[in-house]
Amino acid sequence: MATLTKSSQDVVLVAHLLRRAGFGATPKELDHALDIGYEATLDTLLNPLGTDLIPEDLIRRYHVDQSDLRLQPAASAHWMYRLVNTESPLREKMCLFWHRVFATAANKLIQGRVVLNQIDMFREYGMGRFDELLLQLSRDPAMLMWLDNQDNHKHSINENYGREILELFAMGVGNYTEDDIKECARAFTGWSVVNPDYMSIKMRNNTARPYGYISWQFEYDDDDHDHGDKTLLGVTGDLNGEDAVDIICRQDATAKFIARHLYHFFVADEPPVPQWPHTPPRDPEAIEMMTDAYFDSGYSIKEMLRVMFTSDFFASEDVRFARIKSPAEMVVGTMRLAGGLDVPSYDAYAASATCANMGQYLLNPPSVEGWQGGIEWINTGAYVQRVNFASMVFNDPSKPGIRDIIERIRGYAADDFLSPEEFVDHCLDILGPIDTLESTRDGIIEYAAKYGDIGFADDESTSNAERAILAVIQLIVSTQEYQMV
Amino acid sequence: MSSLRFEYVDTVGFNADQGGRGFHLPTGMAIRGDGRIFVVSRSNTVALEIVGIQMVSANHDFFGQIGSRGSDEGQMIGPTALALDSDDSLYLTDDVLQRVTVYDREGETVSSWGTHGSGDGEIDGPSGIVFDEDGHLFLVDHRNHRVQKFTKDGVFLGKWGTFGDGDGEFNLPWGIARDKDGTLCVADWRNDRIQRFSPDGEFMAEYCSSGDGEGELHRPADVAIDSEGNICVADWGNQRVQVLDPDGNFITKLRGQATLSLWSKEYLDSQADENEARAVFEPYFEVDTDDPSEISARIEPYFWDPVTVALDSDDRMYVLETCRHRFQIYRRGAD
Repeated sequence: MATLTKSSQDVVLVAHLLRRAGFGATPKELDHALDIGYEATLDTLLNPLGTDLIPEDLIRRYHVDQSDLRLQPAASAHWMYRLVNTESPLREKMCLFWHRVFATAANKLIQGRVVLNQIDMFREYGMGRFDELLLQLSRDPAMLMWLDNQDNHKHSINENYGREILELFAMGVGNYTEDDIKECARAFTGWSVVNPDYMSIKMRNNTARPYGYISWQFEYDDDDHDHGDKTLLGVTGDLNGEDAVDIICRQDATAKFIARHLYHFFVADEPPVPQWPHTPPRDPEAIEMMTDAYFDSGYSIKEMLRVMFTSDFFASEDVRFARIKSPAEMVVGTMRLAGGLDVPSYDAYAASATCANMGQYLLNPPSVEGWQGGIEWINTGAYVQRVNFASMVFNDPSKPGIRDIIERIRGYAADDFLSPEEFVDHCLDILGPIDTLESTRDGIIEYAAKYGDIGFADDESTSNAERAILAVIQLIVSTQEYQMV
Repeated sequence: MSSLRFEYVDTVGFNADQGGRGFHLPTGMAIRGDGRIFVVSRSNTVALEIVGIQMVSANHDFFGQIGSRGSDEGQMIGPTALALDSDDSLYLTDDVLQRVTVYDREGETVSSWGTHGSGDGEIDGPSGIVFDEDGHLFLVDHRNHRVQKFTKDGVFLGKWGTFGDGDGEFNLPWGIARDKDGTLCVADWRNDRIQRFSPDGEFMAEYCSSGDGEGELHRPADVAIDSEGNICVADWGNQRVQVLDPDGNFITKLRGQATLSLWSKEYLDSQADENEARAVFEPYFEVDTDDPSEISARIEPYFWDPVTVALDSDDRMYVLETCRHRFQIYRRGAD
């Protein structure tokens, strides 16, 4: 039976946190996290300081299509710049989380910018109170147009948003009635965008003529709002959208639904959402703890996250390296490890295209149900994409992250030589640490042995060492273990 | 204080991301003495056919396109700016291919020159370009944070500027203009200012500072100087144009007020459903954001990434907007 290589418990847990609550850690980031400890690291993740300053001006100057942000490739690449360079990885991870739960796709909306604006909203509200987030979502122009709420009128309701806010965004099937859907839709009548007719036609005709697209803005039209009495989830009155959000957020089902989504995204795979009404959660106690945190904190997502990340169920060995990295986790984590993204660079476009080829086209989820993930992330084609991408990223020794890895190996070697076993174990530690099956480790060592012992005594041995480091890293990032988080 | 005012005249352009008349994500512009206007479209990673130099007039004539996307002679990948010499030859800078391409009056490729690097005569990110009365050209070599002087054929004649924010230093400069006395104004993009130099590159003055108030700039992309020495600035980051007097004092600002171009009207006339919806479209409304770029994305008549300002022989001002695929024309108003 294969055994796993050993790492100290602190390193294991902190690295686990940084993988799940972020995109993994560079060796420097892991060193820092270990210095300040698990709790302080979590506090930093939960309380990011200010906004990430990415060089918007430079990006817009060189990549003019990331200034108008109309097309998905440009908009996705723009988000990629931030994902790869962010100093607030949990905040970006939460943007990905909400993007998956509140899936909104640019292919129908014909402009990437409004979906990116929605992501910006997630960045601002995604770790705050759920009721505030849900209200922002209900006012979000991309969401309104995605679910046709511009067609939800006082005398002619469109149920799309009323249905999805209950079914997919907040409560889940089985916790409301068909009448609740209609009443909820009535509560959101008149919630639209400025110039709805022209914006709808441009969207439907998929045209950016004559002068490009026009970014949408929320507009509430009281004359088009149904002011009659409605009964939603047992509450009756002249309910408007704000009331609907308030009523929904009071529900026990809502807390449990969000808790299960968080567990599914950050802890361990749950079955597909449509099965949730018929399949109990994998860990009902965990859901209960997070539900309690939701109500105790006044619907705070951050406090749900804190409870989750400090729980025994999150720290459990059973869940570590037990999920398949999503394409975004894999691509972003690999690029961060290699040293980020420069401006200008077409690597951001390549990275988002690679994500799409692996099955996760950012800003363009396949349906309103988002991506299921789990084992669906992996098939033969997607796996080849992963391996090729990781090998490509780790092919340039001038990248700062790769230079850092080389210097660390040099530090371990000091004035001596590293045996292939020592060399490979150091690489596995620096890149994760990554737990591998003994058989995987043996295979890497056998490969590393081709380069002999690793040292930096002179130019020739240094050159050999650098080649060996690149080759071994490329092999490690191609392993099955590297695909796990 | 000058009472100089500008009156809106017309808009020329159309989003040609699917080909035909118009521009797509244009970045540079030059006006020939006979009124022919050259606009270069940088476009995106999808609409590649439109990458090239479109030839038009202020009267909405469309004369075709020079060049195409690629790295062969006469082609372009990162077109940035245009200028005309006294023979009406057209010069294009390309900050991806790191070269200057020269086309003759008929649009035929004459030559290209440029060597990537940071040594004398080498360039890294050629941007704004302007000629002096001797037919020599000043080239903004932006990632080297300097201006270089060349013959038309690319023979190095001189240079000035290094990275920094002191007098005569630059941070990724972009556009350049020359007044009738030969002094040069440079849009010192990331220093949020305009610097004036003698023809020999001696620092003379700096105008404006960072901000969004009157006389303040955010990432100025281009400058043009009228016959009286007033300086028109494409205040790119603030999504507006500002006009300064010859001493750099604020005179006026413009936010844009585009109307439908002839090509746009003809398009809408052919699209009954869009035309009908456009009839009840309210282009101006109160926005709920203070981000200038997002405001421009919502209010269609406003400038959106004003990247080039150019003046014709009557001092009419042309403002080219990257993200709206058009230019707006303004004339001097009555005092």
